[in-house]
Amino acid sequence: MGQVLFNGIYTGVQYSLIALGLTLIFSLMNVLNFAHGQLYVLGGFVTYYVYGGMKLPFFVALLASALTLAAVGCLFQIFLFRRVMRRSVREESSMLLSAGTAMMIESLVLIFFGEKHRGVPAVVSGVYELGGVFIPRGRLLVIGLSFLFIVAFILFMRYTKPGRALRAMAQDPETASLMGVNTARYAILGWALAAMLAGMAGAILVPISGVNSGLGNWISIKTFIMIMTGGAGAISGAIAGGLALGMVESLGYHFFPGGETYLIIFIGLIAFLAVRPNGLMGKAV
Amino acid sequence: MYLEARDLHVAYDCVMALRGVSVALDRGEIVTLIGANGAGKTSILRAITALKPLESGSILFDGEPIDRLSTVEIVARGIVMAPEGRHVFPLMTVKDNLMMGAFLRKDRAGIAESLDMVLALFPRLRERIAQTAGTMSGGEQQMLVIGRGLMAKPRLLLLDEPSLGVAPIFVQEIARAIVDINREEKVSIILVEQNSRMALKISHRAYVLVTGKIVLEGNSSAIRRDERVRHAYLGGNVE
Ligand SMILES: Nc1ncnc2c1ncn2[C@@H]1O[C@H](COP(=O)(O)OP(=O)(O)O)[C@@H](O)[C@H]1O
Ligand SMILES: [Mg+2]
Repeated sequence: MGQVLFNGIYTGVQYSLIALGLTLIFSLMNVLNFAHGQLYVLGGFVTYYVYGGMKLPFFVALLASALTLAAVGCLFQIFLFRRVMRRSVREESSMLLSAGTAMMIESLVLIFFGEKHRGVPAVVSGVYELGGVFIPRGRLLVIGLSFLFIVAFILFMRYTKPGRALRAMAQDPETASLMGVNTARYAILGWALAAMLAGMAGAILVPISGVNSGLGNWISIKTFIMIMTGGAGAISGAIAGGLALGMVESLGYHFFPGGETYLIIFIGLIAFLAVRPNGLMGKAV
Repeated sequence: MYLEARDLHVAYDCVMALRGVSVALDRGEIVTLIGANGAGKTSILRAITALKPLESGSILFDGEPIDRLSTVEIVARGIVMAPEGRHVFPLMTVKDNLMMGAFLRKDRAGIAESLDMVLALFPRLRERIAQTAGTMSGGEQQMLVIGRGLMAKPRLLLLDEPSLGVAPIFVQEIARAIVDINREEKVSIILVEQNSRMALKISHRAYVLVTGKIVLEGNSSAIRRDERVRHAYLGGNVE
């Protein structure tokens, strides 16, 4: 059981990290980003290329993933979402656009990195054993880094001026502009941060799980589950939803090794949303 | 004139909300815009702050045209609006809301000074400094919206119906604060109100709006005393 708990935490914190970016874009822009999983995959491939291919230190690769994805996020907003959302009168346009960008990134990744599942050497090796629970050091590193990024993100949003501006914009964009917040510029910052978070999550997982071009949609769907259970738009909801899904998944794989886990999760999700349509935390940042 | 809006035309889809409105304000004045619901008061303020583009007309502030500027640029010039309907940032604390008001300022000492001034003006906000803004009463939220506007160190403050949906005791407190802001902080103010009784009492000059046109302008005290005006435009509720 200790092992199930550890695996649950390990999966949960990385899921929380992935969900943060999605919820940020949702609360700032009212866009459900179908390409979130593809951004994660792209982050993974950058690290695969820099750390696995060029043999540079892992932390350099992590930085490269973060910066590359931040740039991709900026470009998304400047060249795609800003243009479409300025003209469109229907919410579906932004959804269609994000679904389209998902396909675009997936195809580009396929072209540049191929269809093979790619792995890289472990960053740290060795396993601790604690009362019968096996704790690989590599996984401990993932937990530590995810935790660090989540805390850094929360502190940024709470205690810095740009973080406050982003929260203000999520709560009331017009009033934020009356405070002098350049909402067009902050939308770009929001996209950069969200893509960067997804990319860093992808990067820290390559040494353990590897990465392949087809992973994106499955990650996106899992992330939707997290923010639906947690409450779309709330930072606390993304974290709660991520931890919950990680724990449930770990329990599921323990008791149903045959693969019924996600069937059960989806049925449970439907029942849960029937009772609490706004999720655990409701909509808020 | 400090602010001079000339011949403003504003439309929503095909409906004209303002049909040639001209409004002016001298430095240091409190000017009130009064009129029934839907007369176009908010539209004037939204036109000044560039939240609503003009069909035609021009706006000068401190001698310079501002009708081509963005909202952020207008705020940077010192025109700050406390919007209608108590738009606090509901999930932020009172303190964070106030700090958002000072978003464009870099002078730390000046910001701290403004914060002291706002908390002295509205002691209630000091008591609730760590409370989440969305959980406060209507009157408290209104004080917060005004205080947040002051944190920008405005040269011209636009107040859109600060008494709307606010308990009577708070209305007095807010009215007193508006006078204070004008006298002590030397802030020019445009006060939009349906509560013409309060507005005419504390303002220097007034404009009366009916369906997108100014039908009357003059000294507030004169308008307040004018029997005919009261009956024709203000529903007789002036005093
Ligand atoms: N967002 C909007 N869309 C359509 N019509 C609007 C909108 N805002 C205001 N109007 C119309 O413009 C006119 C003036 O409104 P407004 O400026 O809000 O008046 P007031 O502030 O005096 O109540 C009204 O007829 C109102 O119905
Ligand atoms: Mg109004």
